[in-house]
Amino acid sequence: MSDRLRITGGAVYDPAHDVDGDVRDVCIENGRIVADLPNDAPRLDAHGMVVMPGGIDIHAHIAGSSVNQARRVLSDERTADPALAPALLDSIARSGTGGTVPSTFTTGYRYAGLGYTTVFDAAVAPVSARDTHAQLDDTPIIDAGFFVLMGNDAYLLQQIAAGERDRARDYAAWLLGATGAYAIKLVNPGGVELWKRNVRAVKSIDDAAGIPGATPRAIMETLADAANTLGLPHPVHIHCNNLGLPGNVATTLDSMRALSGRRAHFTHLQFHAYAGGAGKPWASGAKELIAYVNAHKEVTGDVGQVMLGHATTVTADGAVEYLLHASSGRRWVNVDIELETGCGVVPYEYRDAAAVASLQWVVGLELFLLSDDPWRVVLSTDHPNGGVFTSYPELIRLLMDKAYRDERLKGVNQKLLAGTALADGVSREYTLREIAIITRAGPARQLGLTNKGHLGPGADADITVYARDPNFATMFSTPRYVIKGGTLVVEEGQLRRAPATHRLHVRPQYDNAVMRDVSHWFERYGTIALANYPVAPPRDAPVSMAAGH
Amino acid sequence: MSVMPGLVEHVTCLGCGCSCDDIVVAVRDGRIAEARGACPLGVSWFGDGRVSVNVTIRGAAAGMDAALDAAAALLDGARRALVFLSVDISCETQRAAVSIADTLRAAVDGVSSSSVASGILAAQRRGRVSATLGEIRNRADCIVFWGTDPAARYPRYASRYAPEPAGLFVPDGRHSRTIVSVDVGGARGPRDADVRIEIPADREMAAITALRTSLAGRSLGDEPLDAGLADLLRTLGAARYVAIVYDAEPGTLPPEPDRAEALTALGQALNAATRACVTPLRAGGNRLGAESVLTWQTGYPMTVDFSRGHPRYRPDDGAAALVAAGAVDAVLVIGRPLGMPFAVDAVRAVVVGPGATAAACEIAIDTGVAGIHEGGTAFRMDDVPLPLRAPLPGPPVAADVIRDLAQRIARLRARRS
Repeated sequence: MSDRLRITGGAVYDPAHDVDGDVRDVCIENGRIVADLPNDAPRLDAHGMVVMPGGIDIHAHIAGSSVNQARRVLSDERTADPALAPALLDSIARSGTGGTVPSTFTTGYRYAGLGYTTVFDAAVAPVSARDTHAQLDDTPIIDAGFFVLMGNDAYLLQQIAAGERDRARDYAAWLLGATGAYAIKLVNPGGVELWKRNVRAVKSIDDAAGIPGATPRAIMETLADAANTLGLPHPVHIHCNNLGLPGNVATTLDSMRALSGRRAHFTHLQFHAYAGGAGKPWASGAKELIAYVNAHKEVTGDVGQVMLGHATTVTADGAVEYLLHASSGRRWVNVDIELETGCGVVPYEYRDAAAVASLQWVVGLELFLLSDDPWRVVLSTDHPNGGVFTSYPELIRLLMDKAYRDERLKGVNQKLLAGTALADGVSREYTLREIAIITRAGPARQLGLTNKGHLGPGADADITVYARDPNFATMFSTPRYVIKGGTLVVEEGQLRRAPATHRLHVRPQYDNAVMRDVSHWFERYGTIALANYPVAPPRDAPVSMAAGH
Repeated sequence: MSVMPGLVEHVTCLGCGCSCDDIVVAVRDGRIAEARGACPLGVSWFGDGRVSVNVTIRGAAAGMDAALDAAAALLDGARRALVFLSVDISCETQRAAVSIADTLRAAVDGVSSSSVASGILAAQRRGRVSATLGEIRNRADCIVFWGTDPAARYPRYASRYAPEPAGLFVPDGRHSRTIVSVDVGGARGPRDADVRIEIPADREMAAITALRTSLAGRSLGDEPLDAGLADLLRTLGAARYVAIVYDAEPGTLPPEPDRAEALTALGQALNAATRACVTPLRAGGNRLGAESVLTWQTGYPMTVDFSRGHPRYRPDDGAAALVAAGAVDAVLVIGRPLGMPFAVDAVRAVVVGPGATAAACEIAIDTGVAGIHEGGTAFRMDDVPLPLRAPLPGPPVAADVIRDLAQRIARLRARRS
């Protein structure tokens, strides 16, 4: 296959360069976008079609040890969703199984089949990073990275409690490099450690139960500052306290205010945007939450939309999963992970007949439809927690097509929906440009990926070409062409090639003095030799640090 | 950090599922002279590191290339093949092995289906409440050894994980913990337990059920809870973090297919009021790696059948059953051909692994032992991944051999299609 290609005649959506459906050529050479090519370069006819950068998923669970725990217990659901090996021309193709948590090869193929070319796993326990790298090595086509869990790391909590914020930052920097991670993740900061101590609720972000000094506020401040001082391409990625509980929007707003003025990413906002509680019924807190986000440019987020149907909740937030197990009676996995984090899995179904599930569905859509800035509030379902990534085209249709959305709205439980933007008949429809932002350009900017999410010269040639269809779900679920790093991966709607993937990771600098302390910690409390803890450095060079955040 | 010549530090031992990674291996004259820090089981697992380095076809010496071609042809020509993941191979080898099964539309299985299947199936029905060993070491203030004394089959469990080490929340180690021994029939827990309860083997399930219903505030009929069990419940309830530890591998506890599920249910119920985990002890050789790799590649941890071109879960058709029924006409064994649930000579077999050429099979390729002659990744009994080191150079690397074989099989298939 030639390393040059001119995609001709398509309507190009490249929001990073203010290209909004203009008909123009996109040229590729040696895996990257170039300004132009000689006339005799091979051509790909995209007349009448839509050309966008490859999709980027900022928050999914595809390769953690917790994901494999979920796969292992869900043997029944995948029986109904076998995945035959695609007919690949360039490599040994692999079969697999789907369901809500597909096997690794199937995960890569299905993402690519949707036009997604980059995915981040949002929650990896440091001690299991080696497992995640191996799973990602078996996840074809998509470039991938992961966020490493730090919000309940006992060593970090001790440093934070002692006011040793520089040492905490150095440790965080070491841990990012040692695990081959891309960003710092906080899950229910402090709350998972409390769950291990049998304290099941975090009353507020200043609740220090059990860990004097290491409040959620202090944890968030310390690690937000660490990420920004280190110049990480992506800021601290926060799953707030009290996920999924009525009234939690107050906690979420408190968390955002605590980091006011600091760059920070708040993830799956939908799960943190509920009013009510304390005797009052569940209600939407979306308007209040999105108003804050709209007004604060330093905040980015992804929605974590709930899609009606089957899902699997899989999270480091063990306490939440206990509640879900206790209330649903479903299978429950809990794994407490040595002084680092937790892991919980409960399979789940969001039923349109259920009042709370319907409210959750509406809250997510409200956040999308009331967001002023698509660059800062991007698409996710927190796969597979709110829904499976293969439901993204359906979600796009809900955002782009008011008539369809209204029809779906009629079919859900109305009990808790009064006063929501959807009940008020919000009329917004996302444009293709806005879809290109929330699925490509926005995540790339939030992640600090300068070579992805756009089609300017020098960018990775990750490109998706869609045939137009009045049904946007059809359009976005079956791209005509997908190009990954310059290789034609999907051709005429068929998966054809599985080129080599890249690992996205960082290796920040730190003061090595911290290692004496860390070494002492490992000797006292570790079960693995410090020398055996770091993973082998990924083959790909680390993503460079941003200057001057 | 200076290391004496011939000393390799931080070596991971796969002698049992503890996967101790603090072994210092002394190498002299190309042999392991000492495995410092290893328990007797570990010392025996390392041995002197000598392994055979042969390639044979029907017992006669052969070249690697010829053997791989013959193996590819044999497997490719089979009506139905079985790929069997034995022990002492790395995850990297296991990953390549499963790809061969996929290409061949073969069955693939590991050692777990004939040893711990009931626990795997129980988790699929009910879930699990687990913890990594470091959490038990640092947090568990009450450890219930359920018919199990780790000393015999997991010799360093007590000193590395629990109950001996001091941990973050158990600063006085053993003295910070209450140790309970639940003796099930003749299967006894640690001798120095603080609390000892004896349950006749035929009352074990009833006892667990009674504990669980009592936790839920109910009772079975009018019978009050047995005094010993009532004491046990009080002990568990008073603990901050309970770890229930049992040996999931066959051989010590009386066989009981419902034990894993019953203990899991008990552990889940305990979490209503306190924190608790239930953790099975598992043997070595990276068998947990085989379960993990199979799970991420196929969705299932054991007994996978690719015959329809995609993975299907066949818990009743493990390797032993397939061979016994004559359902497969060729087997690829990857790993050490010892302690397997079927006889290799019962079927045309290719064996690739440490000591392969000692097996009575058609084609045999000796490789190194993962963790002695080749590096890579292995999983501890608690699913924590560890790096393997290779203190000795040696025979061909199993992962390389299997990847090569996979390519040859794929080429044969491509030529035909």
